[in-house]
Amino acid sequence: MPSTTLPGVLFKEYRRKVLGLLLLQPTEPFHVREIARLTGTVPGTLHRELRTLADVGILTRRARGNQVWYQADSECVIFEELSSILRKTSGIADVLRDALVPLRDNLNTVLVFGSIASGKAQSGSDIDLLSIGNVSFAELVSALYPAQEILGREINPKLYEPDEWLHEAAKPSAFAREVMSNPVISIIGGKDDLTQPAGKQP
Amino acid sequence: MTLHNLLGSSLEAIEPDAAYKAIMQLANLALQAEGYRTLTSRPGHHRTMIQLLTKTVGLDSETMILLDTLRKQRNVSDYSGDPVPRSAVDECFRRATDLEVTVQDWLAHQHADLLP
Repeated sequence: MPSTTLPGVLFKEYRRKVLGLLLLQPTEPFHVREIARLTGTVPGTLHRELRTLADVGILTRRARGNQVWYQADSECVIFEELSSILRKTSGIADVLRDALVPLRDNLNTVLVFGSIASGKAQSGSDIDLLSIGNVSFAELVSALYPAQEILGREINPKLYEPDEWLHEAAKPSAFAREVMSNPVISIIGGKDDLTQPAGKQP
Repeated sequence: MTLHNLLGSSLEAIEPDAAYKAIMQLANLALQAEGYRTLTSRPGHHRTMIQLLTKTVGLDSETMILLDTLRKQRNVSDYSGDPVPRSAVDECFRRATDLEVTVQDWLAHQHADLLP
């Protein structure tokens, strides 16, 4: 992955991680230590970042006992727009991309499709993940498992071998048509790769 | 969806269904050997049976997670009509075969009295 990324240009590291976690689970309040654990950040710096985001109305802040809880404020005027940016960049995409690093060399294309990609997800919706490549189903499931806790959603992978997918795309099957004609979030490769045989990775 | 698609996908769905059913029956067998049963009138009893494999036959949690993911694949395909990719079908067969060995072995050691 290049050192300059789209989410990296838009938000500094802590802001990106915090927003990625909280905006993608807007019905869940999190306490500071929990946010630190799930995002791999340091509570000290995190406190400042969270307070700033609460001051401008992106998050709500509530003290309960000796713990401070933060939650996305869905009443914020740019809540929808911000959530959409996070969904397409750092939130889900970053976490999934990181989880798939060990299998990266053998995966040609990975895309999120379905309700998460189209922004119609409800709190219980799964993350539908189309993966095309030469890995085993067991390897993929075990690589994705830790990401489920971070994202607070179950991941439902559909894994195709490259030839098998090209066959689906050429028909095209109802499933292939659904994926190709609806919004997706690119994790590895992009939508264009769905209809072309995978080239050699540089 | 046309009738042709519907029938085509349901035929393709028979194979993984049989392998999945074997996994589910083995999980149920282990649970019943321990003297328990799931409430089949409640939603989620397949999931319960599979997750309890770690408590009954001592299955490692990584394998249990995989079996639970296969359960979900089959469940989603039942409602969407989309065929299950080959990768998941093959894995389901392999795991059903492995689980049969595990459960047989466990029965022989823990519940030999239940065997003919």
